[in-house]
Amino acid sequence: MPTMEEYATQPREQRMQRLARTADELAAAIKGQDDAALSRRPDAKNWAAKEIVCHLRDTEEAFGTRFDQILAMDVDPKLGGANPDRWAEERQYLRNDVAEALQAFRTRRAETLQTFGKLTSGQWDKGGLHPVRGRITLDGFLSLMAWHDDNHLDQLKRALQGRA
Amino acid sequence: MPFAYYARLTRSQQAIYRKSDEIVEVRLPHPAALHPAVTALGAALQTEDRERVQRASERLIRDLIDALGVPPVRVEVLAARPHAKWGELHGLYTVERGRAPRIQLWMRTAKQRRVVAFRTYLRTLLHEVGHHLDYALLQLRDSYHTEGFYKRESSLFRQLVDEERAARPSVDAWFRRTPDERLARLASTPDELAGVIGRRGPRALARRPAPEAWAPVEVLCHLRDIEELFGERVAAILSMHEPALPAAGPSDRWAAERQYRRHDPGAALAHFRRRRGESLETLVALSPSDWQRGGEHVSRGRLTIDLLVALMASHDDNHVEQLTRALEDKP
Repeated sequence: MPTMEEYATQPREQRMQRLARTADELAAAIKGQDDAALSRRPDAKNWAAKEIVCHLRDTEEAFGTRFDQILAMDVDPKLGGANPDRWAEERQYLRNDVAEALQAFRTRRAETLQTFGKLTSGQWDKGGLHPVRGRITLDGFLSLMAWHDDNHLDQLKRALQGRA
Repeated sequence: MPFAYYARLTRSQQAIYRKSDEIVEVRLPHPAALHPAVTALGAALQTEDRERVQRASERLIRDLIDALGVPPVRVEVLAARPHAKWGELHGLYTVERGRAPRIQLWMRTAKQRRVVAFRTYLRTLLHEVGHHLDYALLQLRDSYHTEGFYKRESSLFRQLVDEERAARPSVDAWFRRTPDERLARLASTPDELAGVIGRRGPRALARRPAPEAWAPVEVLCHLRDIEELFGERVAAILSMHEPALPAAGPSDRWAAERQYRRHDPGAALAHFRRRRGESLETLVALSPSDWQRGGEHVSRGRLTIDLLVALMASHDDNHVEQLTRALEDKP
């Protein structure tokens, strides 16, 4: 699995293709699994497969909101930190239907790719101040998202095998 | 007192003008029967989806026309308003020989292309329906903008936007109240919701009063998620100088994507209460000058914390009422 830094060296087109495959890869990974298996956490702290799909859906929306803010401002905005465990609890991921969640992720992801597809070379260098990672450009976000997808796909496959 | 252009009309036109001016009201036999169509129109505008607004506009106009027993009109909802030096066109009523008359309504402003506010859109719709009624109901040979015409439009508006809703403090009214009054309103909402819900169980709370109107649990989830967004906006305003505040939602998309109807209502209320507590903790610590800090929202323009708090107070009012109605199976 490439690191974020390794992704950063790949051409944008290649990273965007990685993003474009994720919804299908998730669908393949959960195919044939029943709701009980999808809702089973490998341990008390680690997410079930269903929660990972919901996380990707909501994170996709949050990425979009950040991009909107970065593109709308002349200076680097300070980006708020996310609290994914709080979302999992509050948005009651375990009660979600995974097929619907995946479909919503697929739609959001297509919108992200559309946004990326329209960026000018100057816009790729626009960025914001991430509370943990420091300044991150839209190009950096593309690498981050590719890595984030890999990471969670892997986590989802482990969760279905009962591993944290 | 007729408008200035009266003097330029011919005698027969003046007679039509005077007749129009004399009639100040159009009474609907059962206004409450049309309220679901009005609510659905508000919900459709929120989705910003032209086809949904088209369907909801057609439904309301059809209900109005049926209630008054006049011939039908064709309805066409269009995107951005055409504009010229004199301003923007909001709606248009046209009569063509051999065809049913046509009402055209524009749902977005000309320059910013924002979706028109619900009350403005409803006013425009009733204005164009008013032209149709001049011919079809009042049997006038022309349809003039007289004082009576505008009063008839307002009389329909009042009957459709029911008295209770009209009496509720608006955002403006909340804005004129003191910060303490607004904070007190925000602080009371979780208990108010708990009181309205009482001992009802998840099944009753997941029932939608109409296909397009939210169930009580969806209202609770909406309040919870909007509270989070409110917190993010306040944090952005306080940590930056005049940040851009991106649009969120739309709310119906959240309800669908986040699958609100599957949520446990008790947990949703508890989490709303926790988020609301955090908001209040931030707000009470702010100095008066902090209240005037703001950011630029893509469609609403500049929003200060002062205004956001008024919006939240009004938003609470709306949704407590919506939840109460939903529990009575009313959309």
